[in-house]
Amino acid sequence: MTWLRICAAIGLSASCVAAQSQKFSIPVSGGTVPNGLRYVLSPDHTTPIVTVAVYYHIGFRIEPRDRTGFAHLFEHLMFQGSQNLGKLEFVKLVQSNGGVLNGSTRFDFTNYFEIVPSNTLQTFLWAEADRMRSLAITQENLTNQQGVVKSEVRVNVLNRPYGGFPWLDMPQYANTNWYNAHNFYGDLRDIDAATLADAQAFHKTYYSPRNAVVVVTGDFDPSQAKAWIEQYFGNIPGTPLPTRPDLTEPKQQKEIRASKTDSLANRPALAFAYHMPPRNTPEYFAMGLIDQILLQGHDARLYQALVQRSGVTGDVSGGINLLGNMFDYEGPMVWTVSLFHDAGHSPDEILKRADVVIDSLRTVPVDAATLARARVKERAALYNILGGQLGFGRADLLACYALFDNNANYVNSLDSQFQIVTPAVILRTAKEYLRPTNRTVLTIVPGKPANGAVGK
Amino acid sequence: MAPLGSKVVLAVALTACALQAQEKQVPPAPATPAPFTLPATRDIALPNGMKVTLVPYGALPLVTVSLVIRTGAIDEGRDQVWLSALVGDMLQQGTTTRSASALADAVAGMGGDLTIRVGNDDMTASGSVLGDSAAAFVRLVGDVVRHPSFPEAEMARLVGDRQRELAISMTQPQQIVAERYAKLMYPDHPYGRIYPTSQALGTYTTSQVREFYTRNVGATRAHLFVIGKFDSTAVEQAARTGFGDWAAGQPATVNVPTPHAQRSLVVVDRPGAVQSTLEIGIPVADPSSTDWIPLQVTDALLGGSFNSRITSDIRERKGYTYSPFSTVAAHYRTATWHESADVTTSATGASMKEIFGQIDSLRTTPPSADEVKGIQNYLAGVWVLRASTQTGLLGQLEFADSHGLDHAWLSDYIPRVYQVTPSDVRGMAEKYLDPSKMAIVVAGDKKVIADQLTPYGTPVQ
Repeated sequence: MTWLRICAAIGLSASCVAAQSQKFSIPVSGGTVPNGLRYVLSPDHTTPIVTVAVYYHIGFRIEPRDRTGFAHLFEHLMFQGSQNLGKLEFVKLVQSNGGVLNGSTRFDFTNYFEIVPSNTLQTFLWAEADRMRSLAITQENLTNQQGVVKSEVRVNVLNRPYGGFPWLDMPQYANTNWYNAHNFYGDLRDIDAATLADAQAFHKTYYSPRNAVVVVTGDFDPSQAKAWIEQYFGNIPGTPLPTRPDLTEPKQQKEIRASKTDSLANRPALAFAYHMPPRNTPEYFAMGLIDQILLQGHDARLYQALVQRSGVTGDVSGGINLLGNMFDYEGPMVWTVSLFHDAGHSPDEILKRADVVIDSLRTVPVDAATLARARVKERAALYNILGGQLGFGRADLLACYALFDNNANYVNSLDSQFQIVTPAVILRTAKEYLRPTNRTVLTIVPGKPANGAVGK
Repeated sequence: MAPLGSKVVLAVALTACALQAQEKQVPPAPATPAPFTLPATRDIALPNGMKVTLVPYGALPLVTVSLVIRTGAIDEGRDQVWLSALVGDMLQQGTTTRSASALADAVAGMGGDLTIRVGNDDMTASGSVLGDSAAAFVRLVGDVVRHPSFPEAEMARLVGDRQRELAISMTQPQQIVAERYAKLMYPDHPYGRIYPTSQALGTYTTSQVREFYTRNVGATRAHLFVIGKFDSTAVEQAARTGFGDWAAGQPATVNVPTPHAQRSLVVVDRPGAVQSTLEIGIPVADPSSTDWIPLQVTDALLGGSFNSRITSDIRERKGYTYSPFSTVAAHYRTATWHESADVTTSATGASMKEIFGQIDSLRTTPPSADEVKGIQNYLAGVWVLRASTQTGLLGQLEFADSHGLDHAWLSDYIPRVYQVTPSDVRGMAEKYLDPSKMAIVVAGDKKVIADQLTPYGTPVQ
């Protein structure tokens, strides 16, 4: 996309605001440092805080095949020391300056971010540049974090009833390409097998400035931020990027059924998921509205059918990308619905009830009132994302559109893309993507697994 | 390490001259902090005793509306646990003029969702909608809370949903531990009864729901908060017409318990569990006390922040656990401090030894001024971060209100955090965090952990 280049051509000190006639838009400017690092700046002077977010184009999909869980383990290592900051010093620097921080590993990126008082922006641009430049960890720190990550897998999956349902399980059943279908939390043996050499090689390959985007949002001066970014990140050597593997999923032709026995659970659970249309197409935006029509909120058709009218469950949940939202992923994705139920209702009976409302969208164009509600809900959902997580949501979307599409300003066109979706596009999308043959059904059965093992 | 102060400035100056290659650089020192003041509120008292607080704030075209009513578990009898939750569920089943699905459509058309949550002391009807729907949403919340239809036909379904929720909760180690901990801390008090029996839950009727509602829901217990981008005049008008003629009802119940302060060990067996779930706690001062803010500093330094002593120890040095944390959990005029962690089964005893060791150390030796300063900066910073969002600011206003504290308490928070000294922190630990009086609840594989727990007491039933 061209937007960032146009801004670069006209000079980067001023904000480039989306030239669109819509209710709400956010200022976006940015550019590229000579070593290939891209940056995006979006000021908002409401309160004296800033978010600094660094996104690396390495998600857990493309971690090494014999090192499942490595992308996530590596995220932990980025807090264990760099050239000028020892173990825990980064954390202490953020906290003792009155900020919060985190990192996360997702399908298509790993991110690191701080939300801090605005007077500390320079400090944290320096600190993020320091750990982009160099990883300085010891075997002791690696061993410690292997223990922490294994504890994380235990608390979130192995020691937890319904652990991994459906967020970790569903991609493994619904996808066929290894990159999309492996256990991205990691096999505990693979986590144990990681070495310091693995970590250094991973940092060198994927944590290159060319593979990253820096985003600053909040109360700051864009020309000052640009100068600091160039000063601190500009001399990090740019290295060539590795070729990206083929992440495509073949078109699904037949419904997939999977069942998992959970010895810690005491009620059955059901999830079903459909492969999504490609990103940023009319069908993709139509799926966003379909998600609103069928699943989000108490007016949604699945809620009305499975909760309000039949009492099959107390809630239906899910959406597009359970580890984020419909905007912050790049590769193949599924739209997932999940619920807990009683043994008195069989999965097939529940699916039959769900199919009645899903089929309604595949056979009859959606009525005007329902479509209008879906558009309003989608707009509010987008605003909630942009304002959510202490304002971090805005940085997240800007980073993703810069990282995946070279077009951070795409965020300002999202609302209008939803508003132009017609009933005909929704009908066409539902017919193709809500096919039963595009679906994976996963059931959780309470009880002892036959082989005595817990989990998949 | 001290990122603030003159030493850092000196170090930066040296860096600019000549420095040996292996010597570490020091982070650039922060600039002068920008001033921050809490946004102004408009506070209105309606003649029936209801309070209204309007806070125009932020740039996003969204508004958060929250109607807090002072009732909840506190008003349940011994055999009525979760009845208040069912009142909340039933309130969402429609009004005398609108069905549940008509309500859902109306709220969705404003871009939001209306949820009713019921806690120990508060029942909260809230939602976030597009800013231009603020007044309409306030009127709708009024209709839902004031004119419920309480349809008999929905009761069995809602009880069934709560039965499922109860059953699933009782498989989760953190919930099992929370239940036993509450029971230990607040014996024979509603705060100590966080889960009903399945049998009791099965007996609740619509007439009990109606009776609870009539007795406990009224204007004198209600406070409406509206925060975000909205038309103040229209919203004030909607609040006055929507709630102005609501009956005052009975004042809120005051029932302050005496929490349990003696060493007890409860062990819940989860055969084969790969982790032990721990909760260790003790009664402390509540938010109305002058000790509250010094306790917040003490907690954040000891276990309540990522860089805290306990977390640095059992996570970052020992690798026993992923997400340990401590917190001070407040009810009306009572509170407890507790540390929670899910630790590797084989390290159960070792984790407890470290936790108690960190507490003992803080009780005997004051922390350094630098460590306290770092924690003060953290608490002050997080306070500003929270106040920068609609829901965070709402939380701060609701917290002060529910504990009977005024706006001045909120605006004085940051200066009071900075008044706490290292000797205050040690003093708080000594005064409140006496390990010999702490309750310990552990859910784990009993046959593996029993020996590890021997030093900490004899398990009670």
